[in-house]
Order: sequence, then structure tokens, then C-alpha cells
Amino acid sequence: MTDATSGGLSAAAQPKSSLLQPSRLMKKRNAAETRFKAYGIAAIVLSLATLGFMLVTIFSDGVSSFFQAKLSFPVELTARTLDPKGNRDRADMVKITTLGYNKVLAVAFEKELAARGIAIEGQSAKDVVEMISKDAAGSLRATVLANPSLVGSTLDATVLATGRIDGYLKGRVTMQTAERDSNVTPAQLQLADKLREAGMLTSSFNWGFLTMPDASDQRPEAAGLGVAILGSAYMMLLVLVTCVPVGVAASIYLEEFAPKNFWTDAIEVNISNLAAVPSIVFGILGLAIFINFAGMPNSSTLVGALVLSLMTLPTIIIATRSAIKAVPPSIRDAALGIGASKMQSVFHHVLPLAMPGILTGTILGLASALGETAPLLLIGMVAFVDNYPAAPMEGFLDPATALPVQVYGWAQRADPAFIERSSGAIIVLLVFLVAMNVLAILLRRRFERRW
Amino acid sequence: MNDMRTLERIVNSEAIKISARNVQVHYGTTQAIKDLNVDILDKTVTAFIGPSGCGKSTFLRCLNRMNDTIESCRVTGQIMMDGANIYDPRIDPVQLRARVGMVFQKPNPFPKSIYDNVAYGPKIHGLTRNKAELDEIVETSIRKAALWNEVKDRLQSPGTGLSGGQQQRLCIARAIATGPEVLLMDEPCSALDPIATAQVEELIDELRAQFSVVIVTHSMQQAARVSQRTAFFHLGSLVETGETGQIFTSPKDPRTEAYITGRIG
Ligand SMILES: Nc1ncnc2c1ncn2[C@@H]1O[C@H](COP(=O)(O)OP(=O)(O)O)[C@@H](O)[C@H]1O
Ligand SMILES: [Mg+2]
Repeated sequence: MTDATSGGLSAAAQPKSSLLQPSRLMKKRNAAETRFKAYGIAAIVLSLATLGFMLVTIFSDGVSSFFQAKLSFPVELTARTLDPKGNRDRADMVKITTLGYNKVLAVAFEKELAARGIAIEGQSAKDVVEMISKDAAGSLRATVLANPSLVGSTLDATVLATGRIDGYLKGRVTMQTAERDSNVTPAQLQLADKLREAGMLTSSFNWGFLTMPDASDQRPEAAGLGVAILGSAYMMLLVLVTCVPVGVAASIYLEEFAPKNFWTDAIEVNISNLAAVPSIVFGILGLAIFINFAGMPNSSTLVGALVLSLMTLPTIIIATRSAIKAVPPSIRDAALGIGASKMQSVFHHVLPLAMPGILTGTILGLASALGETAPLLLIGMVAFVDNYPAAPMEGFLDPATALPVQVYGWAQRADPAFIERSSGAIIVLLVFLVAMNVLAILLRRRFERRW
Repeated sequence: MNDMRTLERIVNSEAIKISARNVQVHYGTTQAIKDLNVDILDKTVTAFIGPSGCGKSTFLRCLNRMNDTIESCRVTGQIMMDGANIYDPRIDPVQLRARVGMVFQKPNPFPKSIYDNVAYGPKIHGLTRNKAELDEIVETSIRKAALWNEVKDRLQSPGTGLSGGQQQRLCIARAIATGPEVLLMDEPCSALDPIATAQVEELIDELRAQFSVVIVTHSMQQAARVSQRTAFFHLGSLVETGETGQIFTSPKDPRTEAYITGRIG
């Protein structure tokens, strides 16, 4: 005791070194700390730069897909062509195919050009009419069949221009590329310039990109994400409905009720392993079980959702279990101590406190399911689908596609107009993902702020 | 030991509320309680004292079967309460815990409003038929816990927003609200400052009129201040039990004396 005191005193009386001068060890430690901070900052800067580069690329390629060149001109819906029997009966009019409507459009377009005095220097009439998208006749036909009384009148039609003309307005197609391109001629582009001056050719926001179904290779201008968005929405709904109850119930049971023994340990290990299984394996599993064994329809959102559920379930279980584990045991003791049953203590106290974590885990799980492509390819969701699925519940059995699969599908096509749409679809997918993450944050805030 | 007021205290009742016989508690293979026999009287404050790790909490948790929640814990022997063995397989521990309330070492109010904290027990046990009755139970419980004047204007604010001492009294109110017959307290003041401790001690003395109170305490002064009977635990066995005054002034067992005079513990 006395030794220690005297030692301390003498040390105080004769300082070993000045505090103003850092010792050698201290300098080394400070240098290490500075280096470590620099590494950290460098890592963050690098990842931000990569992210920024990725976003810039996607947006510069994809934003243009939200705009679309359209031709507007009056179309006389001649009764002789469209309703030869003259009774305005839909049943008779459906016999007229898009060929008839093509004729009507061609006549109307040439008439309007002539009326405006726009010369078609040395081009065949066919070349001129080919500036109108092949989709136009189909959509005009749908409009007329929906309202047969239109026949005989003159309609102010706005129809899509072809993908090349659209590309010209966006700068993707130039005179030089047109010379080498069999789908477009420089003369058509010159005509397009004149049409633009005359106000017949305009570029406007492309709602069709979000609502229309996919289109064939010849009509990239008509391809939209309608079926993919609907398909993804159906699948998210189904995944939510199947995963959340099963996942949360399984987590509660494992965390609160299950005895700790070999079996529960084995289950725990397996759940962690399942979360790390490559997603394409779940696709093969889905193909084998749901389609080949259970006989569910190919490409349907139901099968897609079941496969994504299998994939998401481990993530949700892991997130939920850690959220439940994070609830302090004193809350359980408090509830049990005044005579709540186990179940009451879980549902009245533990779950509400674990809710923010459960919600965050669930939404992030859903978000990763939303972006999942590989397993959906295996169950046939990459097929070309140009019919909207029906409304739920039957709609769950209809073929559909999904956003990431549509991105993949379009990226495979030859026409650069599809590549642009592929980037546009990525933007839509990113918007959905960001929206889900924001929702996760908002929900967490809301539930946490209660106390 | 300057506070020997306990000597003059009258033990209100001699009726035995709980009697434990040959109680053994094991955690896995280690024995935490050996051959314990003790009687706990009705309308009396009984203090459990003893060095850390001697099994006071373990035994206390046997009395409302909170030990059931610990998987490795095994209890054998007999604990009779009002003539029934609480470890009888026919007894539902959930029902038992409504009659044997518990207050924990660390205040643990629910992250809900003050009102909901107290109302929760009566609600799940169906003690009330309407809101007015529930309001009344909540008010009387909070009054009994000597907290009413401090919280009556903010019953809807969170219970976790109160000070430590207030939280502990809220927990006491919550335990009282289910109308228990026995109140178990495991070092209820160890997380409190001296003023809050004094308030809770005063409260314990008042509660004795209605309940049988068992309190585990580290502080011998506290045992002397609040209890009428004291049980001294050492290394998993009950060494000595008797009236508090007698334990503190003329302990029979040398180990008790050693502990009280500060030689073990
Ligand atoms: N949950 C548990 N699991 C295993 N051993 C425990 C557990 N709780 C307490 N023990 C052991 O039981 C003995 C008694 O502990 P406890 O009753 O908490 O003592 P006290 O409350 O008197 O300090 C100690 O040796 C302790 O290590
Ligand atoms: Mg203890």
C-alpha cells in the first residue's frame, strides 16, 4: 500500500516525458488511425462513384424510352372499307382485319400530306406510309370496334411513328446510319423533318410504355411494360400473402416456443443455408414441383410467386427472428409475471416491439424478390406475352411476365430501340425498389416513434 | 445497525400463506437450492437476505413458477399455497401468477401508456365488465402504489417516460392491479436512488395490510426497515429464519451472525 503510494508520488514529481510531445508509440497509433480512415473514405468514394456511373448510364440510355414520336392527322373512317354491309354491326365489322385499317390510314396520311403541300420527293407512297408504326392499324381497329358509330366520321388520330423515326427524333438514328439501314431511308428522315416543322410529327410523354403489353420485333415503338408491371404486382401480392404469415409464424414458433434441441438446431442451420441457395435452384425446384408435378400453368404469376416465396421465406424468417430476439427479455418477464399466457406475451408485447424489424425485413425480402430474374426464366415467364392477365383470382393462373424478365427479354432483341426500352424498364424497376425501400423506412419510423 | 424499530413491530397475522417443504432446484446439473423448508406468513413482509448467488432469486421465482420459463431449471419438493401444491400438474402457472404478483429488479414497464400498463392485467384476466370499473381499478392500484399524484394528469403518456423510481412504483401498481394475494419483489430498489428507495420502502410497509410480501434484498438495513420476518440464505440453503428483530440482534447460527456483521457476503 505504502509502496504504491510513494511510487505514484515520485512518478508524479518526475514526469517521464512531456505530455505536449507525443511518444513514438502514440505517433504510430495515430498514423494507423489516419490510414484506416483514409481507406474507409476511399472505399466509400469508390462505391459512390460506381453507383453514380451506373445511374448515369441507365438514365442516359433509358429516359428517352419515356418519350415517343407520334404522328397526328385526320383519318376519314370510310364506311365502304370498314363496314361494307353498312349496318354498324360489330359482329360483321370484326371480319375486317388490320389490312383494311392500314389502307384507311395510308389514304388519310397521303391526303393530309397533299393537303399541307408537303412534297414526297421521289419516294414511293409505300415508303411514306411505312413511317407509320405497324401498331397503328391495330389500335385504330380497336378504337373503331369499341365504338362502331365512329365509322363514316373523320377522326383526329394520333398514331405511333415507327421506331426508326422515333430514334431519329431522339438522335439515335442519323442520316449516316439510315443509309446502311434497310428499315429506314434518308428520304424518310428528311420527310420526318418536314412533318415536324408542320407539327404533324411530335414527341410526347409515352404513357403506352407503362401500360401497353410487349410487342413483336417489328414494332419496338409499341412495346410497353403493362403486362410486366401487372405480373410483378400480382407476384408481390401473392408473395406477401404467402410469405408473411408463414414466415412470421415460423419465426415466432422457433424463437418463443420451440424447445432447444437437435431438431430445432438443424432447422435453424437449414434456414440459414436456404437463404444462401442460388436463386436459379429455386427455379428448377419450382419447375419440378409446381409445373411438372402439380400441373400448374406455365408462365403464370401463381407459379412465379410460389417460387419467389420459397426464395424469400428464409430471408423473412431470419429478419423476423432477429427482430424478435432483439426485444428485451424483461418485457416477456413483465407480461408473464402478471399472468399473461405465453401467447399473450408474444402477441401483445413482443410482436409490436419487433414490428419495425419484421416490416423492414419483409419489405427488403419482397424487394429482392421483385428484382429476381433467374428462377422466373426457368418457369417460362420469359415467353412473349401480349395479353394482360385477367383480374385476380383467375388472373393468377394467366401467363404474364415480370419487370426484370422484361428487361432481360428486351436486352436480347436486335433492334436498338429495344435496348433503349430495356434501360427504361430498369428505371421503372428501380423506381419500384426505391419506393419499397422508402416504404420500409417510413413504416419503421412510424412504428418506432410510438414510444 | 442503528435502525432497530423492527423490534416493536407487531406481526399482524400468524396464518401461513405459503409453505415450502424439501424444495430442491437444479439448473441443468448444478444444484441452486438444497432442501429448503420455509413458511411465509400472510399479511407480513418477509425478507430474503444472503450473499450474491445463494439462490434467493431462484427460490423467489419458484413461488410464482417463473422458473418454468428457464428451460434448464428443475424444481422438486412441495410448495403449498392455501393448501394446494403449486407444482401440482393440474395447476396452471398462468393462473397462479395472477395471484402471486412479481416486481423485478430492473423496472420493466411495458412501452405503453401508464394507464395501459396498469390496465393490462385486469384486462387479460377479465376482472372488469366495463371501462368505468377498469378506470377504478387503475386508479386504486396507482394510488396504492403511491404514484397517483405524480401521474394522474398524464395517464396516457408512456410509462417508459417516468423516472426510475416512478417506473418501479408503476410496476408495483401493475402487479397490484390483478388483485394478487402475494407480492414477490426481487431487489426492487437496487436500481433506484435513495429517495426513490425510501418511497418504495414506505409503500411496501403499506402493502402489508393487504398482501403477503416477499422481498429479496441485498441491503440488510432495508431488510431491517421493511420486514417483520427474515430468512437468511447461504450457498443454496436456508440457514435461519425468524422474526427480523431476532435475526438481526441474536442470530442463532454463526453464519448468520458472520453475514450480518459483515464477515461473509
Ligand atoms: N438461468 C440460470 N441458469 C443457470 N444457472 C443459474 C440461472 N440463474 C441462476 N443460476 C445460478 O443459480 C445460483 C443462484 O442464483 P440466484 O438465485 O440468482 O442468486 P441470488 O439471487 O441469491 O443472487 C447461482 O449460482 C447462479 O449462477
Ligand atoms: Mg438475485
